[in-house]
Amino acid sequence: MITNWVLVAFFLLISLWYLSFLATRLDRLHHRVETSWANLDVLLQKRAAVALEIAHSDIADPASSLLLTGAAYQAREADIQNRSAAESGLSGALGLLLEDSQHLATPASNALLTELSALTDKIRVAIAIHTDAVTRTQMVRSKLIVRVFRLAGTAPLPITYEFESDVL
Amino acid sequence: MLTRSLKIGIVCPYSWDTPGGVQNHIRDLAEFLIASGHQVSVLAPATDEEKLPDYVVNAGKPISIPYNGAVARVLFGPVAFSRVRQWISNGDFDLLHLHEPAIPSISLLACWAADGPMVGTFHAAAKRQKIIFAIGPILEPAIEKLSARIAVSEAARLTLIDHLDTDAVVIPNGIYASRFHNGTAQNQWQGNTVGFIGRFEEPRKGLSVLLDALPLIARFAADVKVFIAGPGDPSDFNKNIDPEIRNRFNFLGKISEEEKADLMSSVAVYVAPNTGGESFGIILAEALASGACVVASDIPAFDDLLGHGEFGAIFKSEDSTDLAKVIIDLLGDKEKRSKLAIAGRERGQSFDWETVAQQIYSVYEMSIVGSEKVKLASDTRSWNRFLSKDVR
Repeated sequence: MITNWVLVAFFLLISLWYLSFLATRLDRLHHRVETSWANLDVLLQKRAAVALEIAHSDIADPASSLLLTGAAYQAREADIQNRSAAESGLSGALGLLLEDSQHLATPASNALLTELSALTDKIRVAIAIHTDAVTRTQMVRSKLIVRVFRLAGTAPLPITYEFESDVL
Repeated sequence: MLTRSLKIGIVCPYSWDTPGGVQNHIRDLAEFLIASGHQVSVLAPATDEEKLPDYVVNAGKPISIPYNGAVARVLFGPVAFSRVRQWISNGDFDLLHLHEPAIPSISLLACWAADGPMVGTFHAAAKRQKIIFAIGPILEPAIEKLSARIAVSEAARLTLIDHLDTDAVVIPNGIYASRFHNGTAQNQWQGNTVGFIGRFEEPRKGLSVLLDALPLIARFAADVKVFIAGPGDPSDFNKNIDPEIRNRFNFLGKISEEEKADLMSSVAVYVAPNTGGESFGIILAEALASGACVVASDIPAFDDLLGHGEFGAIFKSEDSTDLAKVIIDLLGDKEKRSKLAIAGRERGQSFDWETVAQQIYSVYEMSIVGSEKVKLASDTRSWNRFLSKDVR
């Protein structure tokens, strides 16, 4: 009889430990999602700033300058719902401009373009890191045990933004 | 460009005193980071404490275990685990860089023990193994603690996606490209010559493929010569070589880095006939940087490194007839050779430490957020959150 109770207690302890372990794991993942997004956000803001500078430099003709300025302002001002569309718009505008500005290069504009391409590389890495954190979190959160015991608490389910797959 | 001075802890899973690609990579990276003003501590297993450079901390004597078809000299166990924990808590690191955290060694232990900014680099490329179904659930919680993952090649990245279902940023291994630019062509190695560098006794280095190709090559290029450098005993090969062509083989033994650069820039073609087990191909990157015309087998890592034939010629792996064809074609076409060599040299430059370290550093920057440091992991993290003590 006593051995049965010991077994039950043991089993309960193990389950409690496992639940606590899973909760810790999730908490870490949520933290990773937040920090990787914060990183990406900063880089995107920097990109919008560089885009504005390019718009005001001699790389852009008046028409593309207008387009770029608009896109950059939208990306800066966009709230969370419109963010994805705004960043895609900015990528598109930059892409259009860069395609036919390869041949006209003055030292000043070259410095801007180098800065932009360095930033683009970093954004690519930041996106990879963020998407990975998000998909990992989604995977763990889809586990039955996590949902039944509500281990994620009140943290919202992280999502990847649409622009992350088509940007750059 | 490397602005803020960081305290970086690097963990090497393999014994420091056995030569190997991962160890060399860590040594070069650590020395490069130190030279750029960072503080670096490398934790590695080692047998001989005396010979360690001063940035390496000994984690204990390595154990030899069979792993992935070879013998790996790694380290784990309770004593090692407590040493790792001690190293982490004494180190006060801004960031940990763990190499090969998916193999049973101290990198994995460090990944378990630490909390905070961590970057993992995956070197191995292997076919999917059944065992992964059993060990996957154990590795997953540890691997997902890494803030960012780096794979050294496209092949290593695919392995990672396949095995652990997680993506990585590809950053190649680094070389000191400038050391290979200044190789001077030596007369005795010039002409219709073929070069090979590596531990030729290992079957996967593929020297026998080159041996089998030679009779055919000799028929078209009568004065062809092969120079083979690398540690090992050539007598086994000498016995098996057809006596007619034996005099065409020259074993040079182990050569210095300078001689390596000289050999690579002298020979008409440099051959890497490896049959597999290669994840990056550092020697190929070095050969490219030295301005050699490179021929390599089409294993995924090499195919990728040579841009599918753009920076060097490619033949079907383990097919000596195809190898012979490619070499004969190149020996007879000087223009094609120099075209490949010029394209290859530029490619080789992209693996220079200046470029590679900068890429690694920007991953570091992205993993570090604010002034959060590496500390020992707490298992009660979620409880603290629950009781609304902020653990961040």
